Amino acid sequence: MQNRNRTFSDPPASRIHSYTSDMLELKNITRAYELGGEKAGAFGVSLSVPAGCLAVLAGPSGSGKTTLLQLAGLLDEPDEGEVFLEGQPVSRLPEKARCELRLRRLGFVFQSFNLVPVLSALENVMLPLQLQGLKDEDVRRRAAESLDCVGLSDRLEHRPGQLSGGQQQRVAIARALAPRPILVLADEPTASLDHAHGGPLMDLMAQQCRESGVSFLVASHDPSVISRADLVFRLADGRLVATEGAA
Amino acid sequence: MILPRLALRNVLRNRRRTTLTLLVVIAGYMSLSLAGGFMAQTFDGLSQAAIRGGIGHIQLLHPQALEGDEGQSLEFAIPEGEALASRLRSDPSIADVLPRIQFMGLLSNGPKSVAFLGTGVDPVREPQFMAVMDSLKDGAKANGGADSRWVSAAPGSREVILGVGLAKSLGATVGSSLTLMSTNKDGGLNALDVEVVGLQDLGLRELNERVLTVSLDTASNLVDAGSARSRLSLLLKYPKDTVKELPRIQTLVGKDVQALPWYELASFYKQVKLLYLAIFGFMGLVLFLVVLLATANTLLMSVMERVREFGTLRAMGMQASQLTSLLQWEGALLGLCGSGLGLLLTLIFRLAVNALHLQMPAPPGTSHGYELNIHFVPVVYFGVFIGLQLTLQFSALFPGLKAAKLRIVEALRHV
Repeated sequence: MQNRNRTFSDPPASRIHSYTSDMLELKNITRAYELGGEKAGAFGVSLSVPAGCLAVLAGPSGSGKTTLLQLAGLLDEPDEGEVFLEGQPVSRLPEKARCELRLRRLGFVFQSFNLVPVLSALENVMLPLQLQGLKDEDVRRRAAESLDCVGLSDRLEHRPGQLSGGQQQRVAIARALAPRPILVLADEPTASLDHAHGGPLMDLMAQQCRESGVSFLVASHDPSVISRADLVFRLADGRLVATEGAA
Repeated sequence: MILPRLALRNVLRNRRRTTLTLLVVIAGYMSLSLAGGFMAQTFDGLSQAAIRGGIGHIQLLHPQALEGDEGQSLEFAIPEGEALASRLRSDPSIADVLPRIQFMGLLSNGPKSVAFLGTGVDPVREPQFMAVMDSLKDGAKANGGADSRWVSAAPGSREVILGVGLAKSLGATVGSSLTLMSTNKDGGLNALDVEVVGLQDLGLRELNERVLTVSLDTASNLVDAGSARSRLSLLLKYPKDTVKELPRIQTLVGKDVQALPWYELASFYKQVKLLYLAIFGFMGLVLFLVVLLATANTLLMSVMERVREFGTLRAMGMQASQLTSLLQWEGALLGLCGSGLGLLLTLIFRLAVNALHLQMPAPPGTSHGYELNIHFVPVVYFGVFIGLQLTLQFSALFPGLKAAKLRIVEALRHV
């Protein structure tokens, strides 16, 4: 039976593993699946992302970047290994608890923005705050602040279809940051943008890391993204082959 | 409140599809509500026909009167019926009491005799409460029915009103002299010469071929009734209190007399009501099924088009149950809008149709058509509304569960 009032910061004693200063830690993670008759996924990957760090999972297509990102984002369960968030094992929690963690601790940015087309920019950012059950005035204020942070205070009422790709991705970042997560997971956030928009977007993420202390784990093979990272995990065929940068 | 707001936006997302779905709901609502109004008109007409056809709101009769045929006239009558009627007239809830003598026998023109079912009625009270003048007016249109009038209340007058079929079979017209023959309560044969003063058309062929009406005085004389009466028809001041008044009146008259409400005596009304309810039930089932399939299809298509969006919402932290609730809200909004518009259009359509004064053909077994007047029946409107709303919620259940069961990683990959 799941205690509805339990928060992630107040876990049962039995779940406390070993707290580290790492925001996210993946230990010996394996998640395999068949793709075109061949085995793909991630195999025995261990890595950790400290607080306030912009980390990048780099590698070619099929190297396991998205698989690891989904496991870190509690969207999928590993076959083997464990995911630790703020030092606690989370990958085997019931779906309801993982959902609660995604709502309150994690943020997501997708390659194709994935904004809700029937909602305005402001309403899209308000959505996760409303799901958290915050008061209406707080929701509106925090969503507007979040959009202001990404430079879109003049586009609050615009629907996604009325915004450029770069603007949509900034709305997605505002939506990910508005609930004040500890970790934002971004899957190829610049892939749908041209170079002129991709660079500033990564600068925005780096700025958020510095200013709000939120960690970013970005899956990308874009050199302009990798060049801005504090930490780069190089992947090949589902395995971690190198770690670059100071943790 | 995020779910209803999001649901509203989603419902408005594909307006053409939503419009088509709403049209299905509206059509379902209108069909059932108008059918309910038409049925109410029919039930009302039949109940009035039964009450004003002679039964009254409550009828008092001998406890064995409905169990078998009488060996002779008034075998199962209320012995002191006239006295009981006088006593009941002083009851504050009773508007009036109409005593009746029922008898049967042969009606003869000399060469030919025909069996009849006769009723002796109070010539003064009967036209005040019963529809006798209507049937007389209709009878006046038949061959030989010209100058039809109601029987005289003068003591000693011997007048009869014949069903149009009975008159035809004897070749009788207004002004003809005929002989009534019947047994009295002691089993003796009695005969009376009577004058035909009117023809009546009761709307049912079988009745028109057998019935005749005379005054209480004439009937009493023929069957030697004294103060015995076959039945007492009670007219209440407040007809809607029939069910409430029944036990009180039963107590009032004692156990030697049985009090029955009109709806238990009007067998035709009961049969038609059952038939209509069965038809309405079947039609309702079909319509609810059509609405169910149409809206389930719409919502399912809507789910399939939003797989990636649902994946995103789930990734952001929306619980699977919230996704199911979102679809429930979408179903609820479609139901509310559809039923609301359906109600509005039903009211407009009803007013328009009633204003046309359309004449409906005569129902089977009757000889009169009637004017279409679809009734306003709030309980039917509300019932259909609730039924459709539940149908919509049910139709949203499968798409909602399907959305909730989506694997997030697969939903996010969906193109």
